[in-house]
Amino acid sequence: MGSYVQYLSENSSELIFYAEQHFLLVLYSVTFASVISLALALVLHTNQLAPPSWRRSLRVSSRETSLLLASAALTIPSLALFGLLQPVLGLGVTPSIVALTLYAIYPVLRNTVAGLASVDPAVLEAARGVGMGPVRRMLRVQLPLAWPVIISGIRTAVLILISIAVVAALINGPGFGKPLQDGLARLGAVNSFNEVITGTLGCLVVAAGYEIIFVVVLRFTTPRGIRD
Amino acid sequence: MTDIVQSLTDSTHRAPQRPMIALEGVSKTYPKQRRPAVAELNLAVPEGAIVILIGPSGCGKTTTLKMMNRLIEPTTGRILLDGEDVTDVNADQLRRRIGYVIQQVGLFPHLSIADNIAVVPTMLGWDKRRITSRVDELLHLVGMEPAEFRDRYPRQLSGGQQQRVGVARGLAADPSVMLMDEPFGAIDPITRERLQDEFLEVQRQVAKTICFVTHDLSEAVKLGDRIAVFAAGGRLAQYDTPSEVLAHPADDFVAEFIGSGTAVRRLSLLELRHLELEEIVTSHGGAPTVPHSGTVYDAVDVMLAAHSPLVVVVDDDGQPRGALRWDTLVSDLRTKGPPR
Ligand SMILES: Nc1ncnc2c1ncn2[C@@H]1O[C@H](COP(=O)(O)OP(=O)(O)OP(=O)(O)O)[C@@H](O)[C@H]1O
Ligand SMILES: [Mg+2]
Repeated sequence: MGSYVQYLSENSSELIFYAEQHFLLVLYSVTFASVISLALALVLHTNQLAPPSWRRSLRVSSRETSLLLASAALTIPSLALFGLLQPVLGLGVTPSIVALTLYAIYPVLRNTVAGLASVDPAVLEAARGVGMGPVRRMLRVQLPLAWPVIISGIRTAVLILISIAVVAALINGPGFGKPLQDGLARLGAVNSFNEVITGTLGCLVVAAGYEIIFVVVLRFTTPRGIRD
Repeated sequence: MTDIVQSLTDSTHRAPQRPMIALEGVSKTYPKQRRPAVAELNLAVPEGAIVILIGPSGCGKTTTLKMMNRLIEPTTGRILLDGEDVTDVNADQLRRRIGYVIQQVGLFPHLSIADNIAVVPTMLGWDKRRITSRVDELLHLVGMEPAEFRDRYPRQLSGGQQQRVGVARGLAADPSVMLMDEPFGAIDPITRERLQDEFLEVQRQVAKTICFVTHDLSEAVKLGDRIAVFAAGGRLAQYDTPSEVLAHPADDFVAEFIGSGTAVRRLSLLELRHLELEEIVTSHGGAPTVPHSGTVYDAVDVMLAAHSPLVVVVDDDGQPRGALRWDTLVSDLRTKGPPR
């Protein structure tokens, strides 16, 4: 135990660097995924935003198709996905972010669609009845009401990504994957077990950091009337 | 009793003016439905009048109302608002000019009561101070203390309170046309009565054109200048003044719908101030009183409650105006002067 503390203090600057990398890797990926999912869900969900020529059935089926594709992406084994992207995007940060973004789309998209659909139709009709146009209705009524559900999707995505992100080390990606894999590759050697523990605990620390951030964000972005 | 019927037909309700809302041959068949929800409807709502839509559940009242502000597009026919065909105008602009109170209330859960009421004025770009004073005015109107309710959220209100806020929201921008879908449905009888009186008072000052859906025949008779009785399938069975509907139902359906007790109901259409009353004599001292702003219905109520064969009708200052006898009531009641 004493030696682990010593290990931590000796490598503290490096560990902080890993934590920062891991945090940012997840942040970028989840941000891209959220932007993509929100845009997709808004277009697919809002009747008047989607081209009016799209028949209702087409709108529904396109929504289901994108959900299906997103869920398919989530089921690709992470090892395989990083490997598959390598020939196209090479090594390092870019393919790591792309892969993690693909993983994050499903939880965010799923919750965004569900959140938008959960808004009371009577409320939406009242919005129409007072003369709100489709864009105003979406931005002022539907999105704020769906927000708690959407953000819980983003939160799920973050938790998934924090653990998947360690695989990024395979393609020289950033984060706690590096000490973890180094340690696993040399198990038995000096400090190898410390590295494995550090990779694991590091993920937990990053997750804890995100949880705190989410509590704060949720508090400040949920409209008071629907906060419990 | 025949006198009462006669006096009812030519008293109380205002003469119709030019139509503010006109439905011409309007039908609505919902997608994948075989039968139309509303069929070949012709209806003219006179400017400044309250028209009540009444009928059994599912007969197309809400559908009719929603076609007027184009929340639902009619399958056939056209709709004129103030003489203008609204089938092709911008629907959002149109709806900001028409107050709408939706049957399911539909307050915005994430907005405070004040912000809920202020939606349309805000969209119309009113300045802050004007909006605030308008919100307070409306909360007073629907009997809710602004200081207590302004900053609450819909979920912190009872169903009836939410419904009243819904009415305030519809009235907010002072539209000249109002569509109200069972606006007082969830409100207790006493508050409802007060709101109805308030509503009629406001209507006397600023005559809006109002389409009002209700299930309550008493409410229809009390508020309506005209009543449109709908039968299943959106058929307009009768469209006439309340007294005509009560006295001469157009067909068996209407007769059955208004049910028994129409003679008693018609009493509430007859205002005491329009009656020929008996001279007051000293022996009337101690008899129960009723204000002359009330109706014969109220007078009967007072007589029954006080076990008195006679009531004294008093004016706003409490001065006796005359007396009304039970015997007169059931034999030969007469009205005086021209209808209001
Ligand atoms: N969106 C819809 N799709 C299909 N049918 C509908 C739709 N909305 C209403 N209907 C049908 O049209 C008919 C008229 O409905 P509407 O809501 O106008 O009735 P209503 O007179 O307002 O009834 P209530 O008094 O219960 O409110 C009903 O038979 C109803 O089932
Ligand atoms: Mg209805």
